[in-house]
Amino acid sequence: MTRSRSPALLIAILLAPALVGLVVFRLYPIELAISDSFHNVLRGQQLFVGLDNYLALLTDSAFWNSLQVTLWFNLLINPIQIALALGLALLYVQQFKGVTFYRVLFLIPIGVSLPTAVIIWRIMLSQDGLVNGVIGMAGVPAQPWLTAESLALYSIIAIATWKGISYWMIFIIGGLQNISPEIYDAARIDGVKPWQRLVFITIPLLRPTLLFVLVADVSINFLLFAPIFMLTQGGPADSTNVLMYEAYKSGFVFGDMGRAMAIVVVVVAILLVIVGLQFKLLSGPKEAR
Amino acid sequence: MKTTKIAIIAGLVASMLAGTALAQDKTLNMIVIEGGDTTAMQAVADAYTAANPGVTINLQPYPFAQFFQVAELRLRSADAGIDLVYVDAPLLASYASRGFLSPIDASIDTSTLVPSALDAGKYDGTQFALPINNSAQVLYYNKALFEAAGITPPDGLTAGATATQAEVDDLAATKRWTWEQVADAAQKLTVKDGGRTTTYGFTVEQFGELYQLQPFGESLGTDVVAPDGYTASGYLDSEAWTKAATYWSDLYNAWGVSPKSLGYGEAAQLFGNGQLAMLAGGTWNLPGLIASGVDFGVAPYPYFEGGKVLTPTGSWYVGVNAASANQAEAFDFASFLTTSAEGTKVWFDSLQQLPTYQPLLEEISTAASYDAFPNDVFRLGVYDSLNTAKARPVTAAYGQLQDAFRTAFVDIANGVAVSDALASAVQKFEAAAARVAP
Repeated sequence: MTRSRSPALLIAILLAPALVGLVVFRLYPIELAISDSFHNVLRGQQLFVGLDNYLALLTDSAFWNSLQVTLWFNLLINPIQIALALGLALLYVQQFKGVTFYRVLFLIPIGVSLPTAVIIWRIMLSQDGLVNGVIGMAGVPAQPWLTAESLALYSIIAIATWKGISYWMIFIIGGLQNISPEIYDAARIDGVKPWQRLVFITIPLLRPTLLFVLVADVSINFLLFAPIFMLTQGGPADSTNVLMYEAYKSGFVFGDMGRAMAIVVVVVAILLVIVGLQFKLLSGPKEAR
Repeated sequence: MKTTKIAIIAGLVASMLAGTALAQDKTLNMIVIEGGDTTAMQAVADAYTAANPGVTINLQPYPFAQFFQVAELRLRSADAGIDLVYVDAPLLASYASRGFLSPIDASIDTSTLVPSALDAGKYDGTQFALPINNSAQVLYYNKALFEAAGITPPDGLTAGATATQAEVDDLAATKRWTWEQVADAAQKLTVKDGGRTTTYGFTVEQFGELYQLQPFGESLGTDVVAPDGYTASGYLDSEAWTKAATYWSDLYNAWGVSPKSLGYGEAAQLFGNGQLAMLAGGTWNLPGLIASGVDFGVAPYPYFEGGKVLTPTGSWYVGVNAASANQAEAFDFASFLTTSAEGTKVWFDSLQQLPTYQPLLEEISTAASYDAFPNDVFRLGVYDSLNTAKARPVTAAYGQLQDAFRTAFVDIANGVAVSDALASAVQKFEAAAARVAP
């Protein structure tokens, strides 16, 4: 056995499980989704229909409505989640009396599974639930949090945010701890005010972390499904009918896998464009550092 | 060394022999709905395996909320891991048109089954599934709550009383309440404490479901979909359905007599807790409600004043997966479940659903053991299934119709305007159905 061949062999053996996993769990489903989106399975056999499923979406008002809902939902939820996660992270790294209590409080949502959190919120937001009880004490009438067209989407944003921000907070804390204390010491000597420290030192130096959080958060929220499936089923009056729910309904309730996969492919394409733009706009010039 | 070798060979031979013996034993896999249906099916399976020791029936229960998706996926992927499948009557056309089910074995004698129930298992003239049971809907009313509110409850069957089939027929034909009477009583029965409702006047068991609400609009004169099965304009958005949907809206919004957004099973629970005065629900609630200790009566399913009396019907069927490798055994069990005196009786005793097996229906009508409450309630089911039952539409787009309908009626209960919700349901259904239409 020659010496030059064995490292290559070793690398191949070590990488094999990951590569097999990549093919089986990533590439094959993508291939399957794209291929299904070119077929119609509604009439028994797998019929190749070319771009028909995509062309049908162009004139499909349910699709356009849920695209609109999905974009509006993401336009709101991502900035809210990142701003709150950043705020919590800044609070988390402070030293003050009782800080441990707050730190534990911030981390609780991570320990609760998403379905559990959703069920608890459903009970709290119900007609006779805790939330209406609390606002009732302030003299505000009970609100149909999940059953009114004007409120349901915002209730879902609140629930997803409660569940999501602690997770993003942890990444941001990591980023904050990577900033050298010497920079702050130097700033203090130069007489920089606290808010200037945040705007001119902390946030610029956090940019790589914030970019990662933004991209990951947008991806997760674009594909958010469980709270909608469990709480509103896209209603009332389609106000929470995001694209992933529309795709689920099409594929698993109506058996229209072709339309479902066409929607999924469109969602992923939109997501790729958004993430690409975010990288372009936010990664910034390398020389500046 | 030698002994180990011999032992290994002996072991191999023994295991091969055992293998051949096992090969003659068959295991049939069946997907069913979790809960009472699984318990009842297990009872039938036990009765069957006692007579057919070589066959094991392995039930795979799924929650009602996920059952349809699981069945759809597993049938579509030609999953040989299931032999028998539960089929909801209206989905039969969709399954049969896509070749998911084997045509029913011609040697099975179906002459003992109620013809209309048998017909609903046909697609394009071919029998694809056999009826396991039928369904009947009634109006449960809490006697104590009526008394407390000082109003007269509907005529009905109650504990301590007996009724012959003729008396039950008379009750159903002449003393049936109208939905207007229900609404009127419900408003008097609803009790509010501050902003909270402590007693609700009325609700239906299946919130927003087509099965239970179809007679609302249809009894006023218009079907839910056009005869083609793929369009609904002029039907679901007709004057009749607008009136029915307005009534539905008023229950929640104008009168506030019904609780909003109830989950599966929650309505019967409310009634059992004494927090609900009237419940429109299936006869399958009888055992649970009796166990709850509430003193209740059972009246016929109401209708709209001036409208035709129509009641929900149709239920679950059993079909054989076309991809199953055990066709003969699967048909034998399906036949035992639906067309044998023993199988249908075991099922009825366990689940309390109206049978489609005529000798058993005959027994319910005539046997003295059905004179007393609550057994006499099934006589109400017998009357309705013969006189007022209206089946759900047969269309390959039934899933799409059910979803559009449910969405509209849930939205209406939540306060969406009736005309908007119905228009949107028609539009959604037609767009989705056009993709399935031949």
